[in-house]
Amino acid sequence: MKHVANIAGRELRSLFVSPVAYGVLSLFSVLAGTFFILNVAWFNDMLIRMQQFQAFDQLARMNLNDQLIGEFYGSMSVVLLFLIPGITMGLFASEKSNGTDELLLTSPLTAWDIVLGKLLGGGLFVAILVGIVGLFPGLLFFYGDPELGRTLTGLLGLLLVGWVYVAIGAFASSVTRSQIIAFLISLVMLLVVLLLPAVADLGVATGAPWIGEFFRYLSANAHFEQLMHGLVETGDLAYFAVMIVTFALLTKASVESSRWR
Amino acid sequence: MIEARELTKRYGDTVAVDGVDFSVQKGEVVGFLGPNAAGKTTTMRMLTGFIPPTNGTATIADYDIFENPLEARRRIGYLPETPPLYPEMTVSSYLAFIARIKDIPRRARREHIDRAVERCGLTSVRRRVIGTLSKGFRQRVGLAQAIVHEPPVLILDEPTVGLDPLQIHEIRSLIRDLAAPGKGDTQQTVILSTHILAEVEAICRRVILINQGRKVVDAPIEDLTRNGQSLEELFVRETASDAVAKREASDGGAREATP
Repeated sequence: MKHVANIAGRELRSLFVSPVAYGVLSLFSVLAGTFFILNVAWFNDMLIRMQQFQAFDQLARMNLNDQLIGEFYGSMSVVLLFLIPGITMGLFASEKSNGTDELLLTSPLTAWDIVLGKLLGGGLFVAILVGIVGLFPGLLFFYGDPELGRTLTGLLGLLLVGWVYVAIGAFASSVTRSQIIAFLISLVMLLVVLLLPAVADLGVATGAPWIGEFFRYLSANAHFEQLMHGLVETGDLAYFAVMIVTFALLTKASVESSRWR
Repeated sequence: MIEARELTKRYGDTVAVDGVDFSVQKGEVVGFLGPNAAGKTTTMRMLTGFIPPTNGTATIADYDIFENPLEARRRIGYLPETPPLYPEMTVSSYLAFIARIKDIPRRARREHIDRAVERCGLTSVRRRVIGTLSKGFRQRVGLAQAIVHEPPVLILDEPTVGLDPLQIHEIRSLIRDLAAPGKGDTQQTVILSTHILAEVEAICRRVILINQGRKVVDAPIEDLTRNGQSLEELFVRETASDAVAKREASDGGAREATP
């Protein structure tokens, strides 16, 4: 496993020597800024209205973490859902279309070196994106007093959600040699994960509550919300670990199976 | 150095390589000949561990490709049919990456890369992005990739395809140098596949001819050409007659036809 860093380093270097990485980073910053400003404006608007209607009990419940930072993180998780397939689509598919898979698989590397290196490369790039997201709530500390702990656990949640998306995207990329197909497969898989809470609600309606609970557990959203509320629980962290490990195993199996085809 | 035993690869009902045996001694340069779709590339891919054989096995420098895959792969330099290049990288950063994944110790990397660049005539394009290079240079970067860790075994799949005559000449003399002992170099064992019979005569001392997945000739070149026949005559006779015999034996058509 000593080559994980080499594979990850090459992946990141390839991203940053092309204009793609810079395009993604600047576009993402603009999007994050837009969502942030919209959320601040909405928050401000709500405060003014509640004062006008003298709804003081509701006004007392408004706070920066729940109604602003949480909403902002939620929006950014949806942006990541569409962006990450674009980042991960090339992880394995481009190796196959370049013929460089033949290089990697005939070098003294294990399948884990390759898979974990790719995940680390994608994961680090997503960490940069989440770092950009983190800058905006940082501004609020100059003008208000959000809770630092909850702001950070929410950001951790966003990072973990991003990593789950990377693991799913990497798997999608490992099953095809076309980047466009990889993009579509991962987008569909991520949309399914996004829609799981709705499916969970259907499960409750059918009178088999355990199905609902199961789907709710599979959805990243519930665990993400716990973290945004400042609750760092083993169960939620375990969810992220289980998802990432499962897709890493599937990806490894897929990479190895290419030898047997 | 290279020992192939009963190497067989089946894809469903199609037999791509059918029980090929051979052994190559240290310092030999062996030409791997055969018509298209004869199984040359498949055999090379099995030796390098890219695809596993259905049956049989091989050893590289006494390391079995199944039991000790990493040790075996560490000792192979492999140039596939299409050079495995990352078009967005520069030549030097690409070779630095290769040096790392081929387990060259940190201190020796610089020196290994410099040597490979020099031997393959890449000094003038070191800082260029691979995607902007001409086909001849790309082929040479591919070759540099195969020799940078100075492996005892080199497996080259059509190393001179698509090059101009001057470049072909350079690559051939490079391959001859690699196998020649002395000058403190590691003496390398080379298997190269090609369609060009003149190439085999120019650089190889031994020929392995395979047709429809089977080894049909395995002999030193001087033995084959002793009675005045040319390699071309041999090639045509062996691949044609064998093809006829096979077609009669296996009531025709089941196998992929070979022109």
